[in-house]
Amino acid sequence: MTTVPVPFRKKFAWGGLAFKIVVTLAYLFLLAPLLIVFVISFSSNQYLSFPPKGFTLDWYKALPEQTQFIEGLQTSLLTATITTIIVLLIAVPATLALDRYDFKGKGALAGLFLSPLLVPTIVLALGLVIVLGPLGLTNTYASIVIGHIAITVPYVVRTTLMSLQTSDTSCEEAARVLGAHGGTVFWRVTLPIIRPGVIAGAVMAFIVSFDEAVISLFVAESGRPTLPVQVLRYVENSADAVVAALSVILILFSVVIVVIVERVVGLRNAL
Amino acid sequence: MSATQTLASVEGTGPHRASGEQERRTKKRNRRIALALVIPGILGIGVTFLFPLVYMIRMAFNEGSGNGIVVETFTFATILDPLTDSYYWKVTFDTFLMGLVVGLLCIVVSYPIALFLSRTQSKWMGLLLAAALAPLLTSAVVRTYGWMVLLGDDGLVNSTLLGVGLIDSPIRMANSMSGVVIGLVEIFMPYAILAMMSGFGRISTQLEEAAGSLGANKAKVFFRVTFPLSLPGVLTAFLLVFVLSISTFVTPRLLGGGVVQVLATEIYDQATGLLNWPFAAALALILLVLFGAVISVYQALIKKIGG
Amino acid sequence: MDKLSLVGLTKQYAQGIAPAVDRLDMSVEEGHLVSLLGPSGCGKTTTLRMVAGLMDPTAGQIKVDGTDITNTPVHKRGMGMVFQSYALFPHMNVHENVAFGLQMRKKSKSQQDSLVKGALDMVQLGHLSKRPVKALSGGQQQRIALARALVVEPTLLLLDEPLSNLDAKLRETMRTEIRQIQQRTRATTLFVTHDQDEALAMSDRIAVMNGGLIEQFGSPTEVYERPRTRFVANFIGRANLLTVTIRGEETTPNGDSRYAVDVPGFGVHHAIGEAGLSGVRTLLVRPHRLSVSPAAPGSDGIIGTVEALSYTGDSVSYSVRVGEHLFTSERLTSGPDRMSQGDRAVISWRANDALVLPESTEE
Repeated sequence: MTTVPVPFRKKFAWGGLAFKIVVTLAYLFLLAPLLIVFVISFSSNQYLSFPPKGFTLDWYKALPEQTQFIEGLQTSLLTATITTIIVLLIAVPATLALDRYDFKGKGALAGLFLSPLLVPTIVLALGLVIVLGPLGLTNTYASIVIGHIAITVPYVVRTTLMSLQTSDTSCEEAARVLGAHGGTVFWRVTLPIIRPGVIAGAVMAFIVSFDEAVISLFVAESGRPTLPVQVLRYVENSADAVVAALSVILILFSVVIVVIVERVVGLRNAL
Repeated sequence: MSATQTLASVEGTGPHRASGEQERRTKKRNRRIALALVIPGILGIGVTFLFPLVYMIRMAFNEGSGNGIVVETFTFATILDPLTDSYYWKVTFDTFLMGLVVGLLCIVVSYPIALFLSRTQSKWMGLLLAAALAPLLTSAVVRTYGWMVLLGDDGLVNSTLLGVGLIDSPIRMANSMSGVVIGLVEIFMPYAILAMMSGFGRISTQLEEAAGSLGANKAKVFFRVTFPLSLPGVLTAFLLVFVLSISTFVTPRLLGGGVVQVLATEIYDQATGLLNWPFAAALALILLVLFGAVISVYQALIKKIGG
Repeated sequence: MDKLSLVGLTKQYAQGIAPAVDRLDMSVEEGHLVSLLGPSGCGKTTTLRMVAGLMDPTAGQIKVDGTDITNTPVHKRGMGMVFQSYALFPHMNVHENVAFGLQMRKKSKSQQDSLVKGALDMVQLGHLSKRPVKALSGGQQQRIALARALVVEPTLLLLDEPLSNLDAKLRETMRTEIRQIQQRTRATTLFVTHDQDEALAMSDRIAVMNGGLIEQFGSPTEVYERPRTRFVANFIGRANLLTVTIRGEETTPNGDSRYAVDVPGFGVHHAIGEAGLSGVRTLLVRPHRLSVSPAAPGSDGIIGTVEALSYTGDSVSYSVRVGEHLFTSERLTSGPDRMSQGDRAVISWRANDALVLPESTEE
């Protein structure tokens, strides 16, 4: 033991230059498609080629005329909203039961609500089209909502459960001692306290439903498909940048939603 | 017990209670409330998830011949069909291999970011974390489209390489498996990063500092302390990405340009193109079993790490 | 009539394990503050929660003003409760918190406002009524919790270790404040605590609990000066306890008896106690009633060595080893006979300062 210990903390900060470069490159790779879409949306090239020859806003200007995208957007907004509302109504009470009450089969039930995460989406999509087809329910808003409920329930259950588990039950007891019965306790005390978790779950459910392509493709390919399906079909056939403009708007839209929710509710507390 | 009852009946002026009756009544009432609360959820999941799933599995035992003709029967023939067809063996094998490659490459690329985010004390941490997870906010279609632009024959990568003179003619990436792999690696990075970060969270920085104070330089600390301890997180990330890759549809479809065939695209073709539902269901069943097996391993690992 | 009466109250979580509360009987007079005092796990919080209705008893009855409320649901019992974590509603401000109970009782807005104002003034926090509760300090939260409980004019006030989360200085201040408010409003109060100083300072009566039972129920003076069991003697204040055999009894005019007790190995000494005790009992001498003086060579009596001493400014505490026993003596530092470690010492007490505990020690 002849060496004097070096002041260690300073030396060991995870900031070696080589490491920083590697991390930056990794980030670039991660964000590459989004960045490129952004660039292409302003490019005056007719086709998806590089390098861009000029700057233009034409792609954006062309968007309102793309009826299929406008219709797709309407469908997606509608189905995502309805899905989120339905899922909130069925999942939040169920999660409340899972955390605050005791009954047989609680574990299995929790597993059931989280199980859609364990199944490949395409398998569920197939099952849905096989069931809904003969019933004549395909290519309807209802089919999309039905298809999206299963895959969004786990998100709401997870975030709501977290909020419930970390909340102080003595507030609910205090409310009861002060004279509130079950429903009032939930409405005026529990729900406001778990609001961040519920809202976080709702936002996730909305985004998942809005972005979902596979189930929507299987159950509602014609009629009034969702926006991701419209984009999918467009991209399979054409190679111009109007999709890029649309994508940029969608990305900004998602980011804005998340930022708003973070500000209002403090997502950090809920995630 | 009888002493209690005697006492109660002697002292009390009201009707005396049997022991525990109050508790039992409350328990029963609570059970009823809980039931009312979960029934809508059970119905919802049952109708939209369990029922289609079971129905699909049942469909795999029917016979079909395309064009929507389904013969209601119970046979293993439909399931055996792809299992005995070399084409489908190839498709399954390709799917599996793709999953492996994507999984490996993905964890390699995600590891630095995950490590960085777990360790950094920079005030930009929140922003950087959001940047790493933000891609999850966009649809797979949009991200795949971005890769189509990047990897196309006239795309960014080829144009750059051509312009710099490294190649003479464009490398075929889009419309091929290599493009699909590259795209999938990026698309699943946020998942891998999240999985690894929760694994890394358990590596105490004090361990690294202790190693350092014992004389190890940075590289040694990494290879002898940090990396081995991070392996469980890496493994779960790998399994997660693998399982997502083998079941993904959009990216192989778009970036594969109709040339790349994996289980998911086959299922789609059979179900919506050829309208051979039993066959599609058989393929889906195979995928489900593969998926289920790997997920079980993943869950078991998660529990072990968490413990 | 007693304000609160517990009859055979029992809580047993499962068959085969000891009950958390075991056939408890207790009566509380109107306007009294009664402490449920004991170590953790003794059943005091469980008892409180059963009185509140947050937990169902396995057996027994709870009566308020003579009415059996054992089956009344929580929200209909009209009690007031302060929790250890205060349990203020985090999404409401101070005013809304305090008004909550009044809203449940369908009071009009103007009634609510005036009652809330009154309650906040009582805890001297009227100026904070619009403040969100997250911005309050621990002491302030505690006072708001108290105001919220009292504003509804509860039949009983239930306090579950409300001072445990405060630092020592604040705890003492709040102790006095709570007691003053309680006396002013004459609210019949149950106060759960594990802190004997708190219980002694605040209570009209103390129920010393252990293992689901009440070992002694009495005024602070009774519980301190006349403990009935070893547990109570040890739990409240410090104690020197010896197992002795009673040799003789003389009755005295005030009802107590003066006993001659045989202290094994140390001969016969004297103590007092309630009349009618015999056989093997426990002798209690509080440390500040136990004298320790230098042993002159050749003196007899209980002789030992000063093993340790601890000096705390105003007082000094000696630990004297006599054979297997370790006696503790406390005295003011000013005074004669300061001793040092290693000194030979003789231990003595006056008969009136030693108590024979009524608890039987026969196995």
